[in-house]
Amino acid sequence: MRTNITVKIGGEAGQGIQTIGSLLAEVCHSAGLFTFSIDDFESRIRGGHSFNLLRISNEQLIAPGHIPDILVAIDQRTMNLNKATLLPDSLVILNAENKSDSNADIDENSCSEADLEGCKSDNVLRISLNRLAKEAGGLITANTVAAGCIFAVLGTPFDMLKELLVKKFKAKGESVINLNITAAQKGYEAAGTVRYHKQFDWKPTKTDRIVISGAKAAGLGALASDCRFFPFYPMSPATGVIASVVPYSGKLPIVVEQAEDEIAAVNMAIGASFAGVRSMTSTSGGGFCLMTEGLGIAAMTETPLVIVDSQRPGPATGLPTRTAQPDLLFVINASQDDFPRFVLAPGTPSETFESVKKAFYLSEKYQVPAIIMLDQFLATSQVTQQNFFKVDKDVERFILNEDNLKASDSLSQSPDTYKRYSITDSGISPRALPCMGNIMVRVTGNEHNEKGEISEDAKNKVNMSNKRNSKLAAMKKEMELPEIIYPKEADNQFFLTGWGSSKGPIIEAYEILKLDERAKERGINFGYIIFKDIWPMDAESLKPLIANKKLIMVEQNSNCQMGKLITQETGIIYHASILKIDGRPFYAQYIVDKALETIS
Amino acid sequence: MVEPKDYDNDFENKWCPGCGNFLIQKAMKQTFAELNIPPEKILFVSGIGQGGKTPHFMKGNLFHCLHGRALAVATGAKIANHDLNIVVNSGDGDCYGEGGNHFLAAIRRNIDITLLVHNNQVYGLTKGQASPTSALGMVTKLQKHGVTSSPFNPLATALGSGAGFAARGFSGEPEQLKELIKQAMNYRGFALVDILQPCVSFNKINTHQWYKDRVYDIQSIGHDPSDLAKAIMLSLEWGERIPTGLFYQKESTPFHSRIGVLQDRTLISYPFDGEKTAAVF
Ligand SMILES: Cc1ncc(C[n+]2csc(CCOP(=O)(O)OP(=O)(O)O)c2C)c(N)n1
Ligand code: SF4
Ligand SMILES: [Mg+2]
Repeated sequence: MRTNITVKIGGEAGQGIQTIGSLLAEVCHSAGLFTFSIDDFESRIRGGHSFNLLRISNEQLIAPGHIPDILVAIDQRTMNLNKATLLPDSLVILNAENKSDSNADIDENSCSEADLEGCKSDNVLRISLNRLAKEAGGLITANTVAAGCIFAVLGTPFDMLKELLVKKFKAKGESVINLNITAAQKGYEAAGTVRYHKQFDWKPTKTDRIVISGAKAAGLGALASDCRFFPFYPMSPATGVIASVVPYSGKLPIVVEQAEDEIAAVNMAIGASFAGVRSMTSTSGGGFCLMTEGLGIAAMTETPLVIVDSQRPGPATGLPTRTAQPDLLFVINASQDDFPRFVLAPGTPSETFESVKKAFYLSEKYQVPAIIMLDQFLATSQVTQQNFFKVDKDVERFILNEDNLKASDSLSQSPDTYKRYSITDSGISPRALPCMGNIMVRVTGNEHNEKGEISEDAKNKVNMSNKRNSKLAAMKKEMELPEIIYPKEADNQFFLTGWGSSKGPIIEAYEILKLDERAKERGINFGYIIFKDIWPMDAESLKPLIANKKLIMVEQNSNCQMGKLITQETGIIYHASILKIDGRPFYAQYIVDKALETIS
Repeated sequence: MVEPKDYDNDFENKWCPGCGNFLIQKAMKQTFAELNIPPEKILFVSGIGQGGKTPHFMKGNLFHCLHGRALAVATGAKIANHDLNIVVNSGDGDCYGEGGNHFLAAIRRNIDITLLVHNNQVYGLTKGQASPTSALGMVTKLQKHGVTSSPFNPLATALGSGAGFAARGFSGEPEQLKELIKQAMNYRGFALVDILQPCVSFNKINTHQWYKDRVYDIQSIGHDPSDLAKAIMLSLEWGERIPTGLFYQKESTPFHSRIGVLQDRTLISYPFDGEKTAAVF
């Protein structure tokens, strides 16, 4: 039987909300459970309101939770923001202190009885985190106290928590370990006999599953692709991609360099790629704006380039720590004039790993830029996944090496005969690296002839544009068609259609809708369509697949960008749209409700 | 032995007759010949402008970048393969204007490349607008009432930012220029050679004769290039007399020697080992 429990831990930034959440997730993982964890925080380091939303299940999770089964209110704000939406059987763990206590360490923001007014649940467990932490040996352990209490109500055997604490604090020594175990015990005991009514079967379980974010999957995908150079400029929510490779410097031959700005980052990546080293940079929409000219020079010089765009709401600074899908049409069209490029939008961490590998492969094979679309939701959510770290023994580089340079007589005889932009049927010209043999590699952002000389000749311009664009036919065939799922051919059938990170919530919404009474009564059927490989779009193949289907676009932007793109490429007009632009991720029930609303 | 003419190519030159760039290019070819570097072993990275076009009119590997971005591309290429011999050709607008941030960053990183700035105190390719080094008050077609910002001082900026090699040449002193470029190429670290270059078409103030009347060689008056304070004083001198020569040189650690993995070998030369990679995940 499937059991799902959503735990929401809320408090101020700086209170260690994420620490509690990750401790919970780690213990769940050691019990073979599945987790889907999102962090919601403001663009500030201290204060404000932030929460961790951890969904736990005994089966694979593809989407985040929403209404908490267990609410952990570390501060009043958390209580006040959540009490009206709680379920009657939700359990509240309230950080409540006796504020008339003359104790100097009283947490002023902790809750009181007044904060419970209007609460939809009267299942309330009151504990005093600071008092218990002090009893345990230090205020610093308040998070561990909270974790102990949560584990108690989840019914986790204390030993499992203890084991993890020992592992986690091993490096810090015996006394820190003992301090935390005492704190956890205090929290655990404070729960008394209170248990949440849904329980898991807790026992230590070995799995080869991992808990991973999209950002980390992207970083590891790059390492698996033999990417060695990571120039970047910090920007949420893209920094995590680069941060995830930093621990590997020293172990693998990589250089991570903070550039002076995004323009430098992208041009540094291009320079390294030109010289023969695979490179990747990562940014969000605002940084991508600065990179657009770089995209153009990569295209014009036919230098491979991989960029991760981890999206957030805009325009301008927008919502730095929130999620959205507003950059699709931008990245497809970014930089002046027209040139081929790849745009891939994975939906899960494991797909991200594969998409990044594919991006490197395609970018070098076709000598065009490849862009991977993530967003704050996918980049930062920590999700249980089957271990997906498949690293190929070798990577194919599509570069003329010394041997095949020599083999080609004409090249070795006279350096002048190498044409970096030779016209070929495929549009792809054999690529050599600078200073590697006795040939000379010459590239320029000006329009050029086959040898890389600036050319303003009219006929040459047409030939060269055509050469670059002639790659498109083969590029389209590299794109996986969207996943299209529906139970059976039926009348009155609607397809929830999305791309990238909304995959999980869409599929979960579809599963709910299949069983939904309101839908059944009205004779409505559902299916879904998920795009992962987006650009270039193989419209000829796509068209017959979606021609007679009613598409309900599910996107996190205000102008239904994927819907527009489908119309632009296939002439097919979507039926309706569910657009969420509040900066918070989709959850399944939201899509379900909107879908039913939209159809009526 | 490499000869200067080994760098000749048959691509039609597009500079105006009498442009200072011809002499700069000549000095470059002579330098490379004297250092015995064949064109297939040199990588030119250049920006946009008349100066940026220089490598098009000669042999060598070439990445002709976007306006202002040559140093960023060169930085990436050098990190990928620090055995590359990289020469950057840029202009006063390209390097000090559009690419100003990269100029500062390249000095701080101490990327081991040679930067030649063709400083004609004007935007040549776009037909004579003011550049960051144009004199205050200089009248152009677009700055009708004269330039209203004071000029950028590349040498003082470089020295103030910790540059390990800073020199000024003049296209009209080819022997000195050749020696400066040679010293820059031999320097381990970031080497700036700002080159005064008359633009016969658009800069009617800073002409060949104007420079001739003012420049003097600081080495001929015994300037010691290890004296930073003196170098900074000299970099502030501009007017009746204009100092040229090697202002400053100190021993420094180039960027690639500051990076662990690049100590023993170039980044590109590491073999890829999928199994090893998977093992550290
Ligand atoms: C992004 C961008 N902005 C503007 C231009 C137009 N442009 C070309 S060259 C140039 C100025 C070049 O001046 P400088 O670097 O001093 O070179 P010079 O021609 O004087 O050698 C400008 C503004 C451009 N090519 N790209
Ligand atoms: S415009 Fe000036 S800088 Fe350009 S080629 Fe002519 S003289 Fe030289
Ligand atoms: Mg100029």
